[in-house]
Amino acid sequence: MLYKLNNFFHKLYRFEALFFLIPALIIVFLFFILPVILSVYISFTPLKNWNIGKYLGEIVGFNNYYRFFYMIQHDPGTRSVFLTTIVFIAVTLTINVLGGLFLALATFFVYEKASAFIRTLWLLPRMAPIAVYSLVWYYFFHASRIGTLNSILLSIGLIDKPIDIGQKIIPWGPWSIIIFVNGLVGVSFGMIVFTSAINNIPKELVIAARVDGATNWQISRRILIPLMKWHILYVTTWQLLSLLTTYAHIFLLVKWNLVHRDYGTTWSLYIYNAAFTGTFDQGLAAAAGVILVVIGGVLGWITLKILGFDRMITRPRGDI
Amino acid sequence: MTGRYRAVSKYAVAIIVVVIIIVAIIAAVYMMPKEEAATPTTTSPTTTPTTPPKAIELTGDFEKDVVEVGKALEANGISEVKYSVWGAGDPNSVMRVYGIVEVAERINKIWEENGVNVRITITDKKYDADFKAQYEEYLSKQPLGQAGDFFVNSYVFISVLAKEGYILDITDYANKYSSLLEDFYSTLLDAMKYKGRMYGLPQDTEARPLYIRKDVAGCTGLDLSNLDEKVKNGEFTWSDVYNWAKQAKDKGCAEWGLVHRKGSAHPDLVQFIYAFGGELYDPDEDKVVIDKEAIYKWLYVEWKFARDGLLPEDIMAWDWAKQIHPTIVSGNTLFDIGGTWYWTEWQTKEYYTDPETNETRGLKPEEVKEWFYYTLFPAGESGKQPVTLSQPFAWMINSKAGQQNPKYDDLKELYHELAFLVIVKASDPDINAIHSIISSHLPVRKAAANLLKNSTWLDKLKNLEIDLCDEVKNAIKDIVEATVHSINAEFLANVGYMLEYTKFAPSHPVYPKVAEFFAEAVDKVLRGEMDPEQAVNYIIDKVNADPEIKAEVKIVGEIPSGWSFP
Repeated sequence: MLYKLNNFFHKLYRFEALFFLIPALIIVFLFFILPVILSVYISFTPLKNWNIGKYLGEIVGFNNYYRFFYMIQHDPGTRSVFLTTIVFIAVTLTINVLGGLFLALATFFVYEKASAFIRTLWLLPRMAPIAVYSLVWYYFFHASRIGTLNSILLSIGLIDKPIDIGQKIIPWGPWSIIIFVNGLVGVSFGMIVFTSAINNIPKELVIAARVDGATNWQISRRILIPLMKWHILYVTTWQLLSLLTTYAHIFLLVKWNLVHRDYGTTWSLYIYNAAFTGTFDQGLAAAAGVILVVIGGVLGWITLKILGFDRMITRPRGDI
Repeated sequence: MTGRYRAVSKYAVAIIVVVIIIVAIIAAVYMMPKEEAATPTTTSPTTTPTTPPKAIELTGDFEKDVVEVGKALEANGISEVKYSVWGAGDPNSVMRVYGIVEVAERINKIWEENGVNVRITITDKKYDADFKAQYEEYLSKQPLGQAGDFFVNSYVFISVLAKEGYILDITDYANKYSSLLEDFYSTLLDAMKYKGRMYGLPQDTEARPLYIRKDVAGCTGLDLSNLDEKVKNGEFTWSDVYNWAKQAKDKGCAEWGLVHRKGSAHPDLVQFIYAFGGELYDPDEDKVVIDKEAIYKWLYVEWKFARDGLLPEDIMAWDWAKQIHPTIVSGNTLFDIGGTWYWTEWQTKEYYTDPETNETRGLKPEEVKEWFYYTLFPAGESGKQPVTLSQPFAWMINSKAGQQNPKYDDLKELYHELAFLVIVKASDPDINAIHSIISSHLPVRKAAANLLKNSTWLDKLKNLEIDLCDEVKNAIKDIVEATVHSINAEFLANVGYMLEYTKFAPSHPVYPKVAEFFAEAVDKVLRGEMDPEQAVNYIIDKVNADPEIKAEVKIVGEIPSGWSFP
């Protein structure tokens, strides 16, 4: 009997890793997997107006998905949301990654105190409360004389009446504003990661290159950037997924009518609007959200593939 | 092997200990004596020999009902009833919240006089400027039990809130108070209903006059004598508004010919649909109506005004405090589509920049009277009728009213009855009249309208020598000082006739969404992004793009060919 019991626990011994992983797995399940399961479930219900008690038990099959694709097909406003999302992500991602890389490299080559000041300056957009930061740009781009940009352009005589960038220059006006505002916020993230990466590169490599007469550009291109490959991969993937789901700044700029409703709304904001405004159609929003999650997953996977994530996590050969 | 065996044994012991602890905790939780279950067995047989009432039969005699509800609550061991109130609107309409605070005091006084030892406490007094945003917050918080017990907001939300079961059906209670209901204007009571059931009592209403700046009219040559009669008779239409607006601009009398409200097409701009003879709702089919002809004509007027520089093409994005109101009160526009509440809002908010001191200030009642003329919203074209549009606000009761109080599940009916009695009392003529005079809304009861004609009462109100609790007096003191004036009372009396022409936007679940499409279309024609025909088709495309909205909307009429404006 004792032998059998010990044999049983001997088998359990194999699961010791699992035993210690259970707390973490519970958290992952509760906060990562369960919301996805709930979103998928809600997308099959007619949930609206937050009325969980009334609608959550009712299943309508793929009706919300059908409505969503029907709207894409018939509503020009919904179609422009997708075009806006593609342009917004492509351009902002480029700005975020290249801008962060440029800032990190530029501050590497300048005097330390100056570089710290510049980095802090670029962190301000991220530190400022979203509403305050958005309000600053609202008044900057405002389509009347109270707008800073218009008042400057008027005072130096470049224009004779205020221009409405966000509403009149369609679609690039609203796109420029949302890309500009989000680009400024996102650059600081890349900058921090890349600065930290550069600081971990052995200084001897840079000094040796300097001794050999290498320019800043050559040092960046031949030494620093190749050694930061995995950091660039990480920032690109992370920012791509962030941009796919970000909407806070854009929400305020659209709400305040600074930018065009259709060409200022991205997919994630569309989901928010469907769920929390108008008819409070949480079932429809969940369907749009599930598709966004699938697309996000596919895009993330493609990015990791293209940038060679597999090679980064390959086990070391052990024969160094 | 022995070492490993020992390690395995350690794990075995650890797992057994963990399992035992978990089982012990579960057992402890299950076996813990339940406080609620124990209470009745120890106290009820000795302290309450008979079961106290969980509800009373309302009689229609307010004082009697209040006392009976109070006694029933007391018998159930309740000494304090907590309620919260959410209201929203313009800065002067705070009585939407403080009316409830005042009622709590009045009921407490009645209970005190009748020896009932229960008190109402208003715990949360939330007042927001944006009524739509507050409605959205109510929707999200009601299912969680975190929304206000009293919700004072537009009637237009009644359909959704009633459909979802978020507000209380007061039909049965209200039937007992038929004599009170008779004193309300009947059209307003109809607006409180959804599918024949009543979900609120009217709190206020208003009209949306066309304001005309008198000095600009004088400069332009527009004769204002009897203009309101001409508008009433359909002799002065939107073509005339256009022609005079154009002259005002051409002669340099004003920067703009017309300014209107921003953001939403509901409720201000949909007046155009009625002014062009259209409809927004089909009661037989219970569907929102898209009247292509009337909407085309409305959008054409907007488009024409904007193209000729008479109406700012970005008005839908204008700032209320920095652009819209300052433009009107400074005389930079001849016409303005506004609301009756503007009349006192201009007096209490500092929209006007005094040219002598170069400082901003509110207007004096005399200035508002001297500078502004007002009429109904003119007919769209000859042969059509002038209109105005009302959006009555309602005293609504949360279907979970009283939930923050003890024994809620048991005494729900009593808490609901008391909540109903609170809104009955909030309809007292003086509370309604105070709200009307300080916010320039129209009274909902004949008794309140009569009180506004009483100059002695107005003088007392001006000096706050009336029966109000201190908290309410302090809250409205500044507004009362700025607004209680015979000129404002006269204004309310003068615009009262507009209610005969009033229309209501439909209280239909998909109407808010359709109104959003209207607002987008107006914005697009004003900015020149679309012409009126494209904008009508845009609205129809938006409606047809969602099968659920499409099913609730009926599209009628055709875009007229050869129609010209002005």
